[in-house]
Amino acid sequence: MAPNIFSLILRHRELRTARAERTKVTIGIAASLTLLAASLLPASGASATEYNEPDYSKFKVEDGQITLEFWSWVGGLDNTVKDFERAYPNIKIHVNNVGGGPAEYQKLQTALKAGSGAPDVAQIEYDFLPSFIVTDGLADMAQYGANEVKPYFVPWTWGQVSPDGKTVFGIPQDSGPLALNYNKKIFDQYGLSVPTTWDEYAQDAEKLDKASGGKVKMGHFYPTQAPWLIGLAWASGGVFFKAQGDTWIQTLNNAAAEKTLTYWSDLVKKGYVSSIPGFTAEYYTALGAGQIASSVEAAWGPGVTAASLIDKTSGDWRAAPLPQWSKGEPLRSGNWGGSCDAVTKQSKHPKAATLFAIWLNASKNPVVANWIQFGIFPVAISGLADPDLNAPDKNPSKFFGGQNLMQLYSDASKAVSVDFAWAPWFAFANDNYNKQIDALFTGKMTPKQALDAWQDECLKNAKADGYDVKGQ
Amino acid sequence: MRYRKTALLFLAPFLSVFVAFYLAPVVYAIYLSVFIKKRTGLGPAKEIFGGLANYARAVQDADFLIGLKNMFLFGIVQIPVMLGLAILLALLLDQSRGIFVRICRTVYFMPYGIPTAIGALIWGYMYAPNLSPFNQILRALHQLTIDFLSPDLVLFSIGNIVTWTWTGYNMITLFAALQNIPKDLFEAARVDGATGWELVRYIKIPLVVPTIRLLFIFSVIGTSQLFTEALVLRPLGYVADNITPNLYLYLTAARDANYSYAGALAILLAVLIFALSGAFLRRVGSR
Repeated sequence: MAPNIFSLILRHRELRTARAERTKVTIGIAASLTLLAASLLPASGASATEYNEPDYSKFKVEDGQITLEFWSWVGGLDNTVKDFERAYPNIKIHVNNVGGGPAEYQKLQTALKAGSGAPDVAQIEYDFLPSFIVTDGLADMAQYGANEVKPYFVPWTWGQVSPDGKTVFGIPQDSGPLALNYNKKIFDQYGLSVPTTWDEYAQDAEKLDKASGGKVKMGHFYPTQAPWLIGLAWASGGVFFKAQGDTWIQTLNNAAAEKTLTYWSDLVKKGYVSSIPGFTAEYYTALGAGQIASSVEAAWGPGVTAASLIDKTSGDWRAAPLPQWSKGEPLRSGNWGGSCDAVTKQSKHPKAATLFAIWLNASKNPVVANWIQFGIFPVAISGLADPDLNAPDKNPSKFFGGQNLMQLYSDASKAVSVDFAWAPWFAFANDNYNKQIDALFTGKMTPKQALDAWQDECLKNAKADGYDVKGQ
Repeated sequence: MRYRKTALLFLAPFLSVFVAFYLAPVVYAIYLSVFIKKRTGLGPAKEIFGGLANYARAVQDADFLIGLKNMFLFGIVQIPVMLGLAILLALLLDQSRGIFVRICRTVYFMPYGIPTAIGALIWGYMYAPNLSPFNQILRALHQLTIDFLSPDLVLFSIGNIVTWTWTGYNMITLFAALQNIPKDLFEAARVDGATGWELVRYIKIPLVVPTIRLLFIFSVIGTSQLFTEALVLRPLGYVADNITPNLYLYLTAARDANYSYAGALAILLAVLIFALSGAFLRRVGSR
């Protein structure tokens, strides 16, 4: 029941689905989507740069007719997987969208616990992957040769699915390096320059607040998305979780987090920055009405914004590198979201499942289709450099005035620190964050107190759940 | 002996389903609840026997206890409001005749026909601070707006959804009970000179008390199972994990994958409700 409820609510993952649905409507019928996918094929042949794909013949699959159940909230996959089915006629892929993010995880945890009902392959975000590793639900894909394809993926994303460098619990699908998205029309109207530092950002915010009489907010703080703040603190060198030998270290109240939260909390309290819960009708109404001039967004963000606002402010948006703390420093970014495709221990065809997960994320056709249909920012190294991913006349680029978003976010991706880990109890910490931020914005706590409370409550819960974890 | 066999045969369809979908899960939850997780390093956790460790944790778990407190607060405020409204509407409908009454009856009952999740979603939009029609009216009147989803108010906002859904259901049940009162009682009362209000006070209400009692028990149990509304409102803002005990134990199981602890919480909650309803039934049953 619960996932059905969630799937009705506009969260970012669902919005991606909504986008795919709308794409279908725009083009007309689902059949023409197939044509679109087909039209991408000759383009790949004509492409100037070499697209480097793994040698799939190294992966031997099980005999006989195989149907793989695949849970994912990426839209348009029904068509994308047809290429795979053509190449491997004995394998059928059954794509099932059981809800995005937590809605899927709660189903998956239950199916894994129940011992049956889990899919062969499931999409899981990096931050939630450890919670499935510790419940012993995922197969180690290294035994099916997954380490072979490590060189084809952006190194830090491989680190997310292979924490110890030996076992492999997923094939990276996408990532969410951060950049600044801004409404150029509002910036032009109020004579704002694109900020390159957080000081400039705060100055712009003050200027905009005065000029608009408080009607237009400079930016947006996501009050119920812990990974957004973590991504920003990540860009400033914050470390939140660390495995040390057989124990964990959790430092949610690290210095970078405190600096980041203090900065944003100040802007929110001054009224320069909105703090409407994200991925809600409320938020998109404000964004579409031109009440919010910019937002720090992950690489999948432009696709979500375009899908949510459809025509409103289409073409007005641009993206710029993430502002930095000081001028002249090399670009540093953090990551928000991004997923991998994992094979469950319940799969009866783990070899075929592994091959499919690799094909989906390393091959050119699915990588191009996922970006253009859904705004999924690839982590296949060849995909990042491929000119076919720069399509100015298609969303998400079209929504951003034809800007080459791939280039901008690729640079952001290179500026993400590779050394970043998550803990198995992140799902708890993710929800607990909302509680502390509410206390912060209702004046019950200072930023430091909120982070300390977040740290303490999560530490207490993790210990009660049997984890060997400490603060510093 | 032959009769016993026949009785068992007739009971079998009910008993088999009852055992499979009711007793077995309860037994499984009790079984789960005596295990704790033993973690070694970063690998998968092992489940080991922990005796009553989970129960000991539960009775000291401030979050769970606050959830229980919320549940009681909710019951004390919402149940009387809902049942009071239902009684009032049922009496009014019982008093009148004609097409208008039938329309009203259907309209009041309608919310019950809407799936809880859908109803909560629609209410979620009506509660959104800026989009809310209530707030738009308030703003037009130059009043302050209300954040229905703020932590201080969200329990009452959920109460409003529950009242909206269930008042009609309770009303229909009471209305049916009122319609079943033999008409000769009213005739006799009128002959004795009873007025309209006296008919209500001395005939109608006393004769539907058993129904009200039943509805009260249902409402108490319903309150203890509050879940869907809270879950649906969660993505719209900050709604606490422990806004209701059921949501808290659901998250413990499905989010944190701690089925053993969730099992212990579920058993404790069930025992508590069982004791409360039992005590109530015994009290009013003896009268």
